[in-house]
Amino acid sequence: MACALVPLDELQVTEPGPAGKAHALPALHPDRKEERCFLPYRSPPESGSPAEVEEFLEHAKFITEDLEWLLALPHDKFWCQVVFDESLQRCLDSYLHHAPRGLDLAAAASSPAVVDTQRAVHRAVFLAFLRMATHKESKENFITPAVFGEIIYENFLFDIPKILDLCVLFGKGNSQLLHKMIDNIFTQQPSYYIDLDETVPTVLQVFDTILDKCGLYCEGATAMEPMKLNSHKQPTAMTMSQQDLADLVLYLCDSTTTIHAFLDIFPAGCSSFHSHGFLGRLTSFYETAVPDLEKALRKRNFDDKRVQEDLWRRLSHSCREIVEMAHLLLHHTCLQPILEGGENMQTFAEELLLLFTSFLPEKRFLSDYDEQFPIADDISLLQQALPVLDETRTSYLLQGVQSAWDSVGRRSRHRGAAGGGGAGGAASASSPG
Amino acid sequence: MSPPRLTGTLRSFSTVSKKEAFSGQLYDLKTKRLKRRELFAREGLTWKKIYHFCSEHQDKAQQQAASQQLKSLLLAAKDIVGNEDGQEAIESAAVFLFETFHNKDHVGTEETRAIKQMFGPFPSSAAEASCACVARLLAPLGDSRVEDFIQALGSRHDPQRGSAFGRNIAFSYECYTLHPLEDLPCSGVHEEDTSLDF
Repeated sequence: MACALVPLDELQVTEPGPAGKAHALPALHPDRKEERCFLPYRSPPESGSPAEVEEFLEHAKFITEDLEWLLALPHDKFWCQVVFDESLQRCLDSYLHHAPRGLDLAAAASSPAVVDTQRAVHRAVFLAFLRMATHKESKENFITPAVFGEIIYENFLFDIPKILDLCVLFGKGNSQLLHKMIDNIFTQQPSYYIDLDETVPTVLQVFDTILDKCGLYCEGATAMEPMKLNSHKQPTAMTMSQQDLADLVLYLCDSTTTIHAFLDIFPAGCSSFHSHGFLGRLTSFYETAVPDLEKALRKRNFDDKRVQEDLWRRLSHSCREIVEMAHLLLHHTCLQPILEGGENMQTFAEELLLLFTSFLPEKRFLSDYDEQFPIADDISLLQQALPVLDETRTSYLLQGVQSAWDSVGRRSRHRGAAGGGGAGGAASASSPG
Repeated sequence: MSPPRLTGTLRSFSTVSKKEAFSGQLYDLKTKRLKRRELFAREGLTWKKIYHFCSEHQDKAQQQAASQQLKSLLLAAKDIVGNEDGQEAIESAAVFLFETFHNKDHVGTEETRAIKQMFGPFPSSAAEASCACVARLLAPLGDSRVEDFIQALGSRHDPQRGSAFGRNIAFSYECYTLHPLEDLPCSGVHEEDTSLDF
């Protein structure tokens, strides 16, 4: 079928036509697609009724079988299916939308049959995406890199939300493979960097929405306009319905875990977030929203205490993810270039100090950050890399960190024992009250 | 229903995802089963080939007995596939049942699931009858001969399976979970005035 060393995008094949007469056509052609009818994915049933479970199992088995069939196709047929079969794209898309994340509540309560079946779909979906992210399968089976970049981009085989979903669904145990996939996607199609850049404002909007829902959002963060007379009617974390509060915490938990997973797996994405002032927005969000949500979760009377405890854990988890995100951004955009010793070390050092200084008013964030990633350690690294660093500034910074600890009424576990690492998670280390 | 997700928001409010809805048909289990039957009918083994295989090299009495069993198998297939389907669909269902039960002595969970996946809900008596028919049909023939026949023509023998993409990839099922807390939330949640001393 495939000729040796000709890229798929240039390959012609001969196939029997409708009248039985052989005719040549491009190897990548809609006529070569099979009518397979991929089913859209549905998540495991929450209620666990036998009929629903049976339906899920049957549904999922069809999907697994179809994806295994897809993975067994030769290179040219695989790409015909991927590009031209809308039902396949819908199937994969629906999995990314609806597959339970590790953090989801329902994931823990399934029967062994549901778990096994879900795992089979999970693996098959990952392998399908992995194959779609591979432009060269072997010496004989490959696509011209530029054409590959066009195919995946123009057909939306990958887009930024899908990449984020892939990271949060598969990144924990397959980070190296996923890094290679995403790196290849961005390398062969740099337009994804532009898309990422366009996505960051929407991500920032998510945090603003959460603040808004808690009645905490002021346009421009420093708005000093008088409050409208009816503004007190806006629900807050204390007054909104329990379901809304739960949704808000779940949303925060999902958002922070997803962004953190992406930045962890694909550090090259840090610069897009950094260029939009993500770090500053994140820290001010933390400072404003976290104490408010904590207070609401502590003080409100929950009908089910397990829900309250679960939400508390999710908020704590979100705090830790935010702190780790901030660390990743600082590390990849400032610290790493300094440690690598390039030409602009001084500029990066200056930026790092400025960023640390900008954290000083955000006392709760600063103490939680310092708990996990002692700032003194980074300053020490800076001083080793750049001995000419202004000591007055670094002392001022470290005093600011100490002052943050004092103002939140806690003592750092790192004082006098730098580098211990904060294992407890941000909110767990905070003083409730 | 899925909980609220960041990526759901990005799909709705950013400009980087496919906006127009998929135009094609949305498939459900019923359509899928029909498609699966269509595909199965196009694959290697046919009713004619089974008929020939079960009748060849046999004396007249054995041929008559085989013919009777094949008829019974068709009847059981008709019960499973439904009356409104044509002869072709019934024969294709009989082929499926033959493949399913050729090395089975009873209707197990796996076989029940396979039949249900292909035809939807079905009377269990029809499955048992077809299992018994296949057993009686194949009893006079040698096991290895039957296996060779199925291997050569059966749809479940997929020559591509061994070379499927990703078969050697070490996949991890590990997923992100909530960070463990040093201090469990029960104390933090309820005791407002407690000041934790780290």
